[in-house]
Amino acid sequence: MRTLIALIHKDYLVDFRQKYPVAGIVLYIFATIYISYLAFNTTISPTTWNALYWVILLFASITGISKSFSQEMDRTLYYYFLCTPSVVLGAKLIYHLIYQYFLVLLSVILFWVFLGFPVENVSLFLVNLFIGSTGIAVGFTMISSLSSKTGNPSTMMAILGFPVIIPVLLLSVTNSRQVLLGASWVDISGNAIALMSVIVIIIALSFILFPYSWRD
Amino acid sequence: MNYLIRTNWWKWVVMILLVYTIVAGLVMAVPRLPILNETIRNLHFHVPMWFGMIFLFGGSVFHAIRYLGTKNLKYDAYSKALMDTGLLYGVLGITTGMLWASFTWGEPWSNDPKQNASAVALLIYFALMVLRGSLNDDQQRARIAAVYNIFAFAVLVPLLFILPRLTDSLHPGNGGNPGFNAYDLDNNLRLVFYPAVIGWTMLGFWIATLKSRYLLLEIKRDA
Repeated sequence: MRTLIALIHKDYLVDFRQKYPVAGIVLYIFATIYISYLAFNTTISPTTWNALYWVILLFASITGISKSFSQEMDRTLYYYFLCTPSVVLGAKLIYHLIYQYFLVLLSVILFWVFLGFPVENVSLFLVNLFIGSTGIAVGFTMISSLSSKTGNPSTMMAILGFPVIIPVLLLSVTNSRQVLLGASWVDISGNAIALMSVIVIIIALSFILFPYSWRD
Repeated sequence: MNYLIRTNWWKWVVMILLVYTIVAGLVMAVPRLPILNETIRNLHFHVPMWFGMIFLFGGSVFHAIRYLGTKNLKYDAYSKALMDTGLLYGVLGITTGMLWASFTWGEPWSNDPKQNASAVALLIYFALMVLRGSLNDDQQRARIAAVYNIFAFAVLVPLLFILPRLTDSLHPGNGGNPGFNAYDLDNNLRLVFYPAVIGWTMLGFWIATLKSRYLLLEIKRDA
């Protein structure tokens, strides 16, 4: 447990010691949203808003999560002696989840400022957003550990990640669109439960497979 | 795969079945149906490609798991050979399907859940091919590829159940469409269809054994 907290704290330190990775992501989100604001000019329809939101969130999370494993390739040698793979993966998962929720919060605020917030059932929208972004974060964690082994992590991240993230995205984007068009929990519960089971599958597989992939 | 590489008798079965499939599939009487007309003969060539692809990818995942258990590069070669052949079958299946769809559904791509699922499946295995290409060390490539193979296949399975929930399918037997059983009153199609599925699937494994023998020779040369 102490190693877990220490590893999470270490990830936090790595990211915030040099401010530019985080500042880069924040600027990335700001720039894409601001460009959308300029491009759409007038008010946009809820479905377009929804698609735009998820596309921007997806690309921001890819950029955010992909560098996490690759930036510590030379440091992992210590881990082989100090901790078990499940602790390393657990720490990464928790840190990525916190990071992802931070990105979600930031993008929601920026969208609200620039492009409006056409959601009536706010709590349901946020619940779905919470589940969906959890799925994105856990899916990309495993993929990022694989892509960090290759020579070109950021490109491989996109190539390897998209097929795997499609089930998560399809379900959460569909749910989110339905919420925007006025659906209630009963309408989306089927998809939401399917989404949660996909997330459970992804987490279980990550813990099973990570011990095989983390060593060089 | 070990057994398939050692033995030969099943290759004769494949040849007989496929000659029968091609001759009977193109010559035998088929039910006259609106829209489908003669294109129904594609049933013996398009559908077996998907059966073959699923079995080949399944075999690839199976050998990936065995590789992770044993760290024997032989299983990696099998996994790779089965994956390549499965990809070939997938591409053939998607092309024959699009050709068929442009005659029956009016357009090659109509956002059908099965079309989308197969596109994602192909994307996964093309990604796996790129991943293999980007790693140089044998053992590392085998390990990372096996992990991604298992991971992606396990995510693909729920997707096959999710997609049909979102949109209706145009394929027979989905979304209120009658299945092929309803069209096929005299069992004529089935006489060709089942041998065709077995024949094409086993042909895929035949190709995979050739490929894996080649890969095993490469491993031997490098060792």
